[in-house]
Amino acid sequence: MSETTGLADRLERWGTALENAALVVLLGAMMLLAVAQIVLRIFFSFGFSWADELVKLFVLWIALIASVAASRNNRHLRIDVLSHFVAEKYSRIPRIIVDAFAAFMCAVLAWHSWRYIQLSIEFDDTVLVDFPAWIAYILLPLSLVLMCYRFLLQCGSNLLKTFRPDEADGESE
Amino acid sequence: MILGALLVLLAVFGAPLFTVIAASAMIGYQREGIDLMAIAIEVLGIAGMPMLSAIPLFTFAGYLLSKSNAPQRLVRVTSAILGWMPGGLALVALAACAFFTAFTGASGVTIIALGAILYPALKQDGYPDNFNLGLVTTSGSLGLLFAPSLPLILYGVVAEISIDDLFKAGILPGLLMLVLLGGYSLWINRHNRQPLKLFSWKEVAAALWESKWEIPLPIFVLGGIYSGFFAVSEAAAVTALYVLVVEVFILREIKLGELPEVMRESMLLVGGILIILGVSLASTNYMIDAGVPQQLLAFITEFVSSQASFLFLLFLFLLVLGAILDIFSAIVLVVPLILPIAAQYGVNDFHLGIVFLAAMQLGYLTPPVGLNLFIASYRFDRSIMNVYAATFPFLLILMVSVLIIMYWADLSLWLLPR
Repeated sequence: MSETTGLADRLERWGTALENAALVVLLGAMMLLAVAQIVLRIFFSFGFSWADELVKLFVLWIALIASVAASRNNRHLRIDVLSHFVAEKYSRIPRIIVDAFAAFMCAVLAWHSWRYIQLSIEFDDTVLVDFPAWIAYILLPLSLVLMCYRFLLQCGSNLLKTFRPDEADGESE
Repeated sequence: MILGALLVLLAVFGAPLFTVIAASAMIGYQREGIDLMAIAIEVLGIAGMPMLSAIPLFTFAGYLLSKSNAPQRLVRVTSAILGWMPGGLALVALAACAFFTAFTGASGVTIIALGAILYPALKQDGYPDNFNLGLVTTSGSLGLLFAPSLPLILYGVVAEISIDDLFKAGILPGLLMLVLLGGYSLWINRHNRQPLKLFSWKEVAAALWESKWEIPLPIFVLGGIYSGFFAVSEAAAVTALYVLVVEVFILREIKLGELPEVMRESMLLVGGILIILGVSLASTNYMIDAGVPQQLLAFITEFVSSQASFLFLLFLFLLVLGAILDIFSAIVLVVPLILPIAAQYGVNDFHLGIVFLAAMQLGYLTPPVGLNLFIASYRFDRSIMNVYAATFPFLLILMVSVLIIMYWADLSLWLLPR
């Protein structure tokens, strides 16, 4: 048991670190690129034609990675009535249901976006002049799979707490 | 129909909204025989929207400011300038919060960053406790109509109207809210009319000097945007980089090592908003294809003929909407549907935007899901009902101001180019 929790802990730490690193790099790059573009425009009346598109891709990537991060921290926008007005014991079962639903939806979305990526490879779609589009878009199915995994984990841990409260408490220590 | 009811139930039980919206889009696409792959294409459409980079950049800058000592400096400057007036501290609180909210995008950080300074200070100055609680809670979303707040930007992006003009449209309605709340504060405390302190040029100068690094911010952001020198997304990039350099490298109030955590925390909200925007692109596309706005319009015209009664219906609808949905989800989901309807009743696009956002601001203060109520309840350790009761008079005043904004279109349109 301790070995698996050890692995899970490590995955957790690495995952968080990876998300943070990606967000730092993307946000930093977006700031620098956008500001560089302004400087070029003002002082040299010049700009890279691909820069605007790249900034927009950064936004997409930040959106996706940040969504994965939001699933990890349980911070997705939702109608949050239960947790404020219902005791934790009773809100667990609805939560299990909605997390299972969320995991299912992420899986379906991931599958269909994966299908789209395949199509995009087949048609040689490009972004940024001549860059293969699938490289830019692959993050969509990937992040959806990660979110699916997150919701499954939450669902599972609530299931454990509901049906074996003692054991689950022991595990978290 | 059954599926729809099931989805609503899931949403009420707290399913992440983006999954609920995605499900509704899928059901629609399935029914129309459109390949579900189309949803992925719509989500990727986030990368095709103009100005969107302003949202992560301004949010990050706002979080960074709230983690530094900028809130203390802001309160000092405002009290140096406004503190001499009777009931000064209450006015200071309103002005400082409005300013800070505009810059941090109404995500609730105002109550945490500024409320924590103002609430004890108000108490010490002898203001009644419930008044203080209500004031601080209300102020958390007060600057919503001022540039460069996130809801304004998001509304502009979703409605596909000029964000610069929307910024101009928000100025007078935002000031109206401030003036009405300020007047109420003075009236409530009419027996306690002590000024916070005497006016002193020396203190003004000292306070301004202490904030010398932040003072340029509003000047180049607002000046840059209003003069047309910067696009909104450019202003956001400059702001983010500037705040980063100032708070981390010059003032060193945030350690370099803390930066990834601040970035992550600010991006959690952004991820939540943008993923909803992505799936909503799919669901609104479907609804517009299926003619939902026309059906709604046909339904509404049966009961409502004049613009005035349409606006009142809209007001009621937005009150309910704001009580259930957060402002960001509401903008993304509802605006594309009401735009064509409002246009039929001759409501100006910019006026509609300001009305929408002003009404949604009430949603921050109404149960069951008013964000400010929960943040204040958590932050000041009071029960939700307690906070709600304390906030109620302020809510009523804001409602009056929303009605004025609604029926006095020129207030929003005054500053717009004609």
